[in-house]
Order: sequence, then C-alpha cells, then structure tokens
Amino acid sequence: MSKVLCSVSTRGRYFTTLPLTLQAIINQTKKVDKLIIFDDNDDPQDMRNELVYSYFFQMLDIKKIDWEWRFAEKKGQHFNHQVANTMGFKWVWRVDDDALPEPNVLERLFMYTSDDVGAVGGSILTPPLGGYFESSGLIEDIDKEPNIQWSEIRMMKNVEHLHCSFLYRAGICDYNLKLSRVAHREETLFTYALHKKGYNIIVVPGATTWHLKNPDGGIRSETKKELYHHDEQIFRNFIRAKDKTIIVLNCGMGDHIIFSKILPEIENADVYSCYPEIVPGKSIAEAEHLFGDLDQWNIYKKMDQWNWKSSLENAFRKMYL
Amino acid sequence: MIIIAPFAQKLRNNKENPKNYAYWNQLVYEIQKFEQVVQVGVTGENQLVDDFRKDLPISELKKLIAECKTWISCDSFFQHLAWSEGKPGIVLWSVSDPLIFGHPENTNLLKNRKYLEPNQFLWWEYVEHKDYKFVDPSEVLKYLK
Repeated sequence: MSKVLCSVSTRGRYFTTLPLTLQAIINQTKKVDKLIIFDDNDDPQDMRNELVYSYFFQMLDIKKIDWEWRFAEKKGQHFNHQVANTMGFKWVWRVDDDALPEPNVLERLFMYTSDDVGAVGGSILTPPLGGYFESSGLIEDIDKEPNIQWSEIRMMKNVEHLHCSFLYRAGICDYNLKLSRVAHREETLFTYALHKKGYNIIVVPGATTWHLKNPDGGIRSETKKELYHHDEQIFRNFIRAKDKTIIVLNCGMGDHIIFSKILPEIENADVYSCYPEIVPGKSIAEAEHLFGDLDQWNIYKKMDQWNWKSSLENAFRKMYL
Repeated sequence: MIIIAPFAQKLRNNKENPKNYAYWNQLVYEIQKFEQVVQVGVTGENQLVDDFRKDLPISELKKLIAECKTWISCDSFFQHLAWSEGKPGIVLWSVSDPLIFGHPENTNLLKNRKYLEPNQFLWWEYVEHKDYKFVDPSEVLKYLK
C-alpha cells in the first residue's frame, strides 16, 4: 500500500489562508494517510483553543485521518519539507499554506503515480486568470516562459520541474538545506533533482489548486533581497551544470578508490574531490560555494537512509548511475 | 615480502579505532619466522617491525604492492588500494561489514557477524575497541602457509 503524507508548512497565516487550506485537505475525495502541519511561526500558538481549528481537528479524527501539529525550527519551509521527505511515507503531497486544492486533486495526482514517476503536479491557478498558454516545462526554458502550472493543463505532459504544491516520491532526493530561510526556488531544485535522478516529473489535467498568493506570511514576508540573491545563485549554478553529472566525493581515501572504478561509466562527470591524486577534481570548498548543501552527495548518509546491505561500489552506482 | 597495514585512520577523539586488529604483535612475530615483513602507515602509528615505511605517496605504495607476495590489513584505505592494483591479500575485520566495505577477491577474516555494528555508516568514534572481536593470529597464519 502506497501511503501518502500531506505536509503543510505554515508561517503568518493562522487566520487568513491556512484554515482554507486545511479544509480543502480534509475534504479530499482521496483521504491522506497522515496530515502534518509544520508551524514555522515566530510566535506559535496552541490552535486547539481556536474554534475553527478545534472543529478541523475533530473532523480529522472523525474521518480517521492521523494528524500532527509540529512546532518547527523556524529555519524555513525547506527544513520542514525535508523532515516530511524522510518520515517513511512513500509519497508526500506538499500543499502551501495559501493553496486551496479542489476536492479531487490528490485523487487525480495519485492516479498517475507509478514506479517510474517522481512527482506529479496539476494546475496552480491564481485569480484573475490570464489566457491559456502552453509551456515546455523544461529547465532550460525557465527564464523564457511562464510556469506550465500557471495555466490550465489539458493533457498529461512530462516536464523537468514543478512549483508550489505537488505529490512526490519521498526519500529519493533531499531538499537543499543551505538555501536561506526564504528557500527561494526550493521546489524547483527539488523536483529537478528527481528528474535528474531519472524519474518522470509530470503535469496532469483535472487537478486544480487555487493559489491565493497571500502577501502576508510565508516567504513573501521576507523582504531581504540578499536572501533571494543567495538562493538564486545556487539555483543558477545547478542549472549551469544541467548537462553534467555533479559528483561530490566528500569522503575517505578508500571511498575515492572504490568510486574511481565507476567513474568511467559516468557521462559528463563534474567532479569535486577530497583526494584529487586519486580522483581528479575541483575542491570540496568550491562545491559548497556553488551548490550549498552537499548532503545529497554524502554516500554514508545515503547508505544509512537506504538501510544499505550491498557493497559500497553498488551504493555509488545507485547514487550516480 | 609481506606488507602489513596495521592501523585504520586515527579517530578524532583519540580513542583506539575499533577496526585496528588486536593481535598484531603475535601475528608479526610468527610471520617473521618465515617471511620478511614491511609495515606501511603514517607518522604517529606504532612501529611493529624494523622496516616501517611511513607516509609513502600513493605511487610508492603501488610499487610496493606490486613487489609483495601478499599483504595483511585491517579495514582501511590500504585494502582498497591493493584491491584496485589487483593484488589479493588478507583483511582482518571486526565491527565493519566486509559485505559492504570489503572485496571478494581478498581473504576477509571476520570472527563473527554478531560483532558487526548495527549501524555501519556512523562514526567509529562511538564504538569501543574490543580484542575478542578479532580472529586469533593462528587463523591468519593458516592462510599464509
């Protein structure tokens, strides 16, 4: 059974859009197996004392939907999404706290899940609507076209990245935790990583989420331009390396020797190495500067996550081939 | 000539690495009765034989590997280098898993899988060194004679 966790990260929206988001999740035609709300507010409150929330929590209980309200670390929503990503569910449906999925959205997204699918998204619409347009959804076109999800989606299509709210295969890729608190582009980087990993990223028709783009709360309450600039630089560095396989060997000498056996099989390798005399490459410091979080290439962390029993060489194969 | 690479990387908390074979002195004493032994390692490690070649660059280690009859190592960088040079040897295991970190081309001597650490991927600083987790030198000698 493929279990679905619904993850909502919220900040500054207790009494505006968050209740609408929760209502929309509760009223889905396909129930989630668990709902987790990460409360990233500067001054978190006990919402059980609020009438509407009290009713929501009772409705979740009546519908036998497991739920959890977790006071988060206030480091940004990417940290919360990473927690959800590693909670042991096969799929995570992430919903922004100013997004209102129509009742059939999860059911529609889930219909398209299969072994080769990494993430599924639908239309993300904000009133007033513009006209219909078609976009490629390719990362190389990201500066040339509006996001494909901002228009009606009329047929299923493979893309390379998704935006805002979507259903994704958990535990495959990590969120980049070196992004700033605003986590600008975090979902684009995350879904693009799933695409690079070889999974299909798709948009599907008949799954509309209304995005109310609340000007208060969320990342839009952060106005420091340098935070956005920092995150944008990391994003651009990933895009520049889009045709390469980024390899970061932040590990021991023996690990480098084992890795060197599979290096010839990797196309367009862009290597960052601790021991360039064993595996030639640029420095780890440079990798950190370009890509921020290097944990996604930490082979020991990955083997731990995967409950790995096979050889280290095979672990490198799983990571890079 | 047999190479020994007795010690794994020094731990950051200065405790003995739980992967360091416990009976090197006895083992080396027995081997030297019939074969010359060269020790490789880094400055600061205990010297077990007269011929201790410290801090060799990888190119020199490779030459030495090519010259030796075989080699004996704990689970360290050296076993991977020798494997990559195509020279089989003996690896003396304790708490790390040869199915993950070893190579089938080598003779992997593990006393008992029950001594393997449940989590193979965290820091060895938190694992106590225990002599009883290693095979007896007599077991190693069987594979040399």
